[in-house]
Amino acid sequence: MSNPVAGKRVEVVLIYQSLLGLYGDRGNATVLIKRLAWRGYEPVLTVVEPGDTLPETGHIYLLGGGEDAAQISAVRGLRADGGLHRAVERGAAVLAVCAGYQIVGRSFTVGYKDEVISGLGLLDVTTTRGPVRAVGEIISRWNGRDGQEQWLTGFENHGGYTRLGPGVKPLATVEIGVGNCNDGTEGAVAGTVIGTYPHGPILARNPALADHLLELALGRELPPLIHPEIDKLRKQRLARVRRSNARRGLYRVPSRQLGSGSR
Amino acid sequence: MLKLDPSALGKLLAGKRIALVSGTNGKTTTTHFLAAALRESLNYDANRLVHNADGANLHHGLASALSGHPQAEIAILETDERVVGDMIRLGQPEVLVLLNFSRDQLDRHHEIKGLGRSWRKALADAGPAGPIVVANADEPLIVWAALAAKQVIWVDTATTWTQDSSLCPKCDANLVRTQPDQISGHGGDWYCTGCGLAQPKGDFRVESGTIVDPARQVWDPQLSVPGTFNISNAACALAAAELMGVDARTALTGMRTVTSPAGRFATAQFGNTTARLLLAKNPAGWAEALPLAQSQTVVLAIDSAAADGRDVSWLWDVEYESLAGRSVIATGRRALDLAVRLRYAEVDYRCIPDLADALTGHPEPVDVVATYTPFQRLRRMGRV
Repeated sequence: MSNPVAGKRVEVVLIYQSLLGLYGDRGNATVLIKRLAWRGYEPVLTVVEPGDTLPETGHIYLLGGGEDAAQISAVRGLRADGGLHRAVERGAAVLAVCAGYQIVGRSFTVGYKDEVISGLGLLDVTTTRGPVRAVGEIISRWNGRDGQEQWLTGFENHGGYTRLGPGVKPLATVEIGVGNCNDGTEGAVAGTVIGTYPHGPILARNPALADHLLELALGRELPPLIHPEIDKLRKQRLARVRRSNARRGLYRVPSRQLGSGSR
Repeated sequence: MLKLDPSALGKLLAGKRIALVSGTNGKTTTTHFLAAALRESLNYDANRLVHNADGANLHHGLASALSGHPQAEIAILETDERVVGDMIRLGQPEVLVLLNFSRDQLDRHHEIKGLGRSWRKALADAGPAGPIVVANADEPLIVWAALAAKQVIWVDTATTWTQDSSLCPKCDANLVRTQPDQISGHGGDWYCTGCGLAQPKGDFRVESGTIVDPARQVWDPQLSVPGTFNISNAACALAAAELMGVDARTALTGMRTVTSPAGRFATAQFGNTTARLLLAKNPAGWAEALPLAQSQTVVLAIDSAAADGRDVSWLWDVEYESLAGRSVIATGRRALDLAVRLRYAEVDYRCIPDLADALTGHPEPVDVVATYTPFQRLRRMGRV
């Protein structure tokens, strides 16, 4: 039987790993590449560093977490390049995590002086320094999904709090954790652009989100992949985080000093 | 972090000749090297030297080690990155060894640069009363911090881990690295494209597995612990030992007696299984430890207790792909996170979360690489 996708080239672009690669977010690229390969596609990983030009041929573009100075350097490079906007216009998918999420918004602040930095404006969200740093496991419910795949699990670590404008919808509803700004929402979606806070990396812990991103980029449904260890990991994380949360009675953000730390 | 009355720690430190060792990876082994070098020069008069050999390196651990040997005239102290500033202020150390700086326990530290900033400030504040710093010239953040000291001995350690230093610590511009020589590890120098901060020339240099001293004499370290990173650690310890008045030959004789500092690289029995224990706490540490694990079956133990860092996303910054073709056992409380990582790395594995079960029934010796908490459990189980 011939496979209609055999050999079909799909390009995943990992942006500025040296600046936005602090929390294992390169794993999101690893996950996408393998999930494509296991289905018979021919995935290509393009790693773009500052100074390189973003490829015009990418299907999915990935941004991850980083520290303040790296975040400013990254947003400068991406604005000068302009390729991410063109990619979104032609329908490519974007997954922006943590500092990357803040970068693709309208603006964010850095440092003790709360200097306002313009973002790329791909998502109608605004980030300012929050009252306490959000550090810990997070569980949220993916809006519009049901069954086991609705639960999104990861680890958040950010000092910035993000408020959503009318141009985006929240990705998920927080069960445990802080999410965008302790307002019950987590992440933001507009068209093919998804922003979110959790690391994990998020696509490793949430394979349905990985496949959703692939389906957005490819414009077609994908057959399921069976990986028992991923299901077991998800069940374990959900159970352990809920149990420790119940033990504490309520979720408390660790009260620690907020600084100009990693986002 | 619990804080001890600073005057109590200050009293314990008073009147001693002090050397501190800090950095993300290699603190314990380097401190053991330096203590062994000093002991050799003191003819093993144990009463004259105090050393926090177990790696307890926060205020309480340091105070506890010091109060156990009040009469010691020399203190060789492994010091947590966060305590370096306090120890410079309280102890007036003669020598401070700064090894390296990389991402580690980001759920607690958040930002690597903040630690470098605190070291720089403490050294600047200490002025002429501060320590002479032995600093790894390959690490931009270490160099920037050390430049505030009254005097620096630079060590070109031929370090290959560069993933945690892409921006200049001084001005935030991009850093550029020249390509290192694949065989000798030499070269790979860095410089800043903005402010001109650049890698200082090494007073001591690690070259093709040897240590070259400032007089250009070449020393074959012949250490009893494995790994090229330990030759880098030994070069730093050698530089510190000379500052403390120990000649290189005597220092190396002492350093060669170090075999399994605080259980690292120790071989232990678990029932009928013989296992060698390797510690790896962060991506830089794993990049060092994984190549040492050469057994056909490799046991990897992962946890996320406070001492390990509660966020295990760093698993995706480790090249577990290099284990393809071997038989891997994933164990520890976060074994399933590792299992998923190994699945995506296309490495064959078995998931056995219980440590004792994971170490049962191996006819051939196995190498075990573990994060901090399971490593300490394995030391107790294997009595090493």
